[in-house]
Amino acid sequence: MTSLLLALLLSAEPPSTKEVLAKYDAIMAPPTFKAVAQMTAHRDDGSTRGYKMAILKGVDDKMRLWFQEPAAVRGQEMLRNGENFWVYMPNLKRALRLASRDNFQGGDFNNADVLRANYTRDYEGTVKEDPKKADQWVVELKAKTPDSAYDSVKLWVTREPLGMPVHGEYYTASGKMLRSADFSEVKDFGNGLKRPAKITMRNEIATQRFSEMLWESVDVAATVGEGKFGLSDLGH
Amino acid sequence: MNPLLSMAFRNVLRNRRRTLITLAAVTIGVAAVGTIRGVLNGLQGNIIKGSIETTLGALQIHRTGYLANVMSTPLSMDFEADEALLSKVRGVKGVTAVAPRIQFAGTLTLSVPEGQEQPEALFFAAVAVDPKLEPAVTPQRSKLFTEGTVLDETHVVLGDALAAAFGAKRESEAVLLAPDRDGSLNGELAQVGGAMRAMMPGEMKIAVVPLSLAQRLLRMEGRITELAVGVDDVNRLPQIAAELRAALGPQFEVHLWNELAPERKTIMGIQDGISVIVSIVFVMLMLLGVANTMLMSVLERTREVGTMMAVGVTRASVMTLFLLEALVLGVLGAAGGLLLMVGLTFGLAQRGITFTPPSATMSMEIFPFLTFGFTAGVLLTAVGGAVLFALYPAFRASRLRPVQALAGR
Repeated sequence: MTSLLLALLLSAEPPSTKEVLAKYDAIMAPPTFKAVAQMTAHRDDGSTRGYKMAILKGVDDKMRLWFQEPAAVRGQEMLRNGENFWVYMPNLKRALRLASRDNFQGGDFNNADVLRANYTRDYEGTVKEDPKKADQWVVELKAKTPDSAYDSVKLWVTREPLGMPVHGEYYTASGKMLRSADFSEVKDFGNGLKRPAKITMRNEIATQRFSEMLWESVDVAATVGEGKFGLSDLGH
Repeated sequence: MNPLLSMAFRNVLRNRRRTLITLAAVTIGVAAVGTIRGVLNGLQGNIIKGSIETTLGALQIHRTGYLANVMSTPLSMDFEADEALLSKVRGVKGVTAVAPRIQFAGTLTLSVPEGQEQPEALFFAAVAVDPKLEPAVTPQRSKLFTEGTVLDETHVVLGDALAAAFGAKRESEAVLLAPDRDGSLNGELAQVGGAMRAMMPGEMKIAVVPLSLAQRLLRMEGRITELAVGVDDVNRLPQIAAELRAALGPQFEVHLWNELAPERKTIMGIQDGISVIVSIVFVMLMLLGVANTMLMSVLERTREVGTMMAVGVTRASVMTLFLLEALVLGVLGAAGGLLLMVGLTFGLAQRGITFTPPSATMSMEIFPFLTFGFTAGVLLTAVGGAVLFALYPAFRASRLRPVQALAGR
């Protein structure tokens, strides 16, 4: 039975890029949600630093993030609104613009990795078979805008269910691999959302470094107020 | 005077026009080689002095392994800037000053009035210095600053490209964002104290920041990544560095300014290489001129050589005579060259040459100077080379057979 299913899968035509990315976005970035996540940054010297944050996502890819731990960044907030990223610094009592490709808190994710996850809008490309991984599709993506997180991305997603990420490789315009990610620990977050709870992002330039993002909760049923995404709301 | 030598003098003076042309070639060759080197000496002296006195300091001390990891600007390779360490450094003979620093990177933006669009932050590389201690190590740094620039506990100085990118003026408010020692983002406010010109290419997106502000920003109170050291005699740098290494032990590494700025060392190496090639071309042309003159002289004086040999002058004496003539030409030409070279270099040094390296924004004033070693080398090469290049013509003269030579064959 399994082999028959596998044979069926193998003979399948690849789905359209649009279809795969729509599924990927639905899994990784539902229209609205409220979440709690932890990031652990592992540095070259073996030391680690953990960050705890609350995340709110609104329609039209608006996102807001509150840092809760460690004490050094408590009270810092990040906001993404349209193409712009902002960080609110509590000691300066003001919001400052950030570049989308800056490191997220000195870890190995960049700001856009965390705050901007709409692949349908940012990328276009092709879906192919990977002869070594019969149960997955590999999606080769090129950035549509310079604001996207990377110039090109290779993303391995499961065929069943379609669009669940397994592995990703992230490249510069010149084709150099900057980072690679592993998506693991698929978890049921309730309300029909099943997604990887853990993302391990490896720095392919400074190979001793990597960061882990662990999603503790993602509540897609939470009510998300539109007022939370105004620049003037930061710090309140 | 030795009869051969006085004959050589007389022979050189026999065809005055040809001698003058040959002497002119040697003089110009020697003067050109020496003057080019003199200008280069001035330029390189400027690069060395500029590197040491405006930015780097003569020596730098870091935690061992820092330089190997410098691309990742490792704030975690820091150390306590305590008085015990500083006095240990000051105690080394030849050290005149020591200043604590932090090298770090971050992003910078200007704060704008409410309602105006804030510019996106730009990446910058910064050196944090103690405004009171730093001038003792880099006394010329303020020469890079534009007029009226202030660097103190509350003011930062921006590289002119960085300042221009934001249209920053004095007293504009700048916001510095940087990952702290543990990688967490932090921000600090500062006033813009002014702008700084770039002395070397590729120094555009830089800033000089007061140390105390950087220590708050990076959450590194009392800690630094670098000690810059001033010395009394730049020529004794390797010895002073060795003594510092011995005094500080294996936890610290000590580097000379030229190890810290390898691109400048490379630039100077390329300049040296080009000047050597140009010098070789000049010297070859001038020596070939001497050889040509000597060969013509031998061919013209075949009968004369035959007569000399017929009356009993030995082959060795004939050869010596022609070599002495070349020596006289070489010495006179070199002497003329020396005069011209000294005159040119001195004249240029009086006026100074103003020069702006491509893609730098700070012009430099070059004062050429000659060194004894190189000048002596050029003069010896001219004289020795003239004799060497006369060997073949002189040898040919000494091999003539008297009977055939008398017949003019």
